[in-house]
Amino acid sequence: MVNNLHVSESIPAYALACLEADEAKRVAEHLATCELCRAELQSYQEVAGQMAYALPQLEPPQALKAALLERLPAVSGKPGAADRRATWWQRNVRPAVQLQAEQERRPAGKRDRLLRLAPAWALASLVLILFLGASNVLLWQQVGDLRASQPAPMKVVALTGSQVAPTASGLIVISKDGRHGTLVVDELPALDEARQYQLWLIQDGTRTSGAVFSLGPEGYGSVWVSSPQPLINYSSFGITIEPKGGSPGPTGDKVLGGDL
Amino acid sequence: MNFKTVDDVALIRLIAQASPEALSELYDRYGRLVYSLALHILGEAETAEEVTQDVFFRVWEKAETYRAEQAKVSTWLSSIGRNRSIDLLRARGVRPEGHSLGWEELTPTAMPRHEGLDPEDGAMQAMQGERVRAAIASLPAEQRVALALAFFRGYSHSQIAEELDEPLGTVKTRIRMAMQKLRSLLVEEL
Repeated sequence: MVNNLHVSESIPAYALACLEADEAKRVAEHLATCELCRAELQSYQEVAGQMAYALPQLEPPQALKAALLERLPAVSGKPGAADRRATWWQRNVRPAVQLQAEQERRPAGKRDRLLRLAPAWALASLVLILFLGASNVLLWQQVGDLRASQPAPMKVVALTGSQVAPTASGLIVISKDGRHGTLVVDELPALDEARQYQLWLIQDGTRTSGAVFSLGPEGYGSVWVSSPQPLINYSSFGITIEPKGGSPGPTGDKVLGGDL
Repeated sequence: MNFKTVDDVALIRLIAQASPEALSELYDRYGRLVYSLALHILGEAETAEEVTQDVFFRVWEKAETYRAEQAKVSTWLSSIGRNRSIDLLRARGVRPEGHSLGWEELTPTAMPRHEGLDPEDGAMQAMQGERVRAAIASLPAEQRVALALAFFRGYSHSQIAEELDEPLGTVKTRIRMAMQKLRSLLVEEL
């Protein structure tokens, strides 16, 4: 029996699926009738969903993606990778050529009937092409609408390489509230163990350290940016080469820089 | 058409319209998330690969059932992956030995280069990971342990109480308080 009391205390555990079966059933019955508790559940499901991000992100084998895409057409009515790889010629012209060859092999009576059907087939193809074209336009309009309805994105500051590291690049992604950030850099020169890179947060000529970091073996790195005040308060950012552990102020060559 | 500029919800719409390219892009964004979760729960790379493939194949088949107003795409994917992994874990009965199930090894690590992942998306995911790890680290140790048993092993309240040799009411309180704290740190901030 569904009662009218809210089940708020059980919802966090329900979102984790750790309630006993009878209690889970009672909560599910209540949720079916209570919009308030459903909204509560969504917020806890969001928590459970985010918990996966706490894990070290490991790369699955490259063959897995190919196997997934290959699997699509075999067990679904939707077109899959095999169709995607086919060229326009293979998908549209070759079937018509095959039909013509089929006509040549058939007895005259059947061939005549097929030939009589050819204009209808061509018309149907034209209609289909027009329909697909219109569908495509509508679909991309929907995509545009969805993009427009999205909340304001996080701020991204692009960093460009100096003369010391002309091919290097970097990004600082700042959270929507401006309080947190992540720095990602690529193609910076490898440093010996006695030196590290240091990020500087610049405001009115004053430079505050935001992070001290080393690179991974591929010259790629990311680091959490810590700041005494919101990152959006700074006007520009720079990265220099410093002694291991960082310096109170920049002492080495600048390798990357960018403005907010 | 550059699918990397399409947001998650629009990608799901495109997958529902049978776009393998959209599924490929979604995999580039979240394949690691699903695979890492399955691997952590199951402790076996081969089974984690099966789960990962199943999750994205399910998205291909069920994309039209996704409701953006109910959950983020990443939440939907990790939920499918976790449920599938725990089902397998329960069916198997035991886990490989020597595989940790806690949060203790979840220390911040440099983000490796991921093929196919846009650097901006990678940075955002790295930032998300830092926030979640910091939030979990802020919980009392006994809450973290109870949460790990529920999240990674799929244990019920009574199973957690038995595993920890604690009263059932205590376990329920720990789980509830942990989730409430995480929600206050992770969800309301968004």
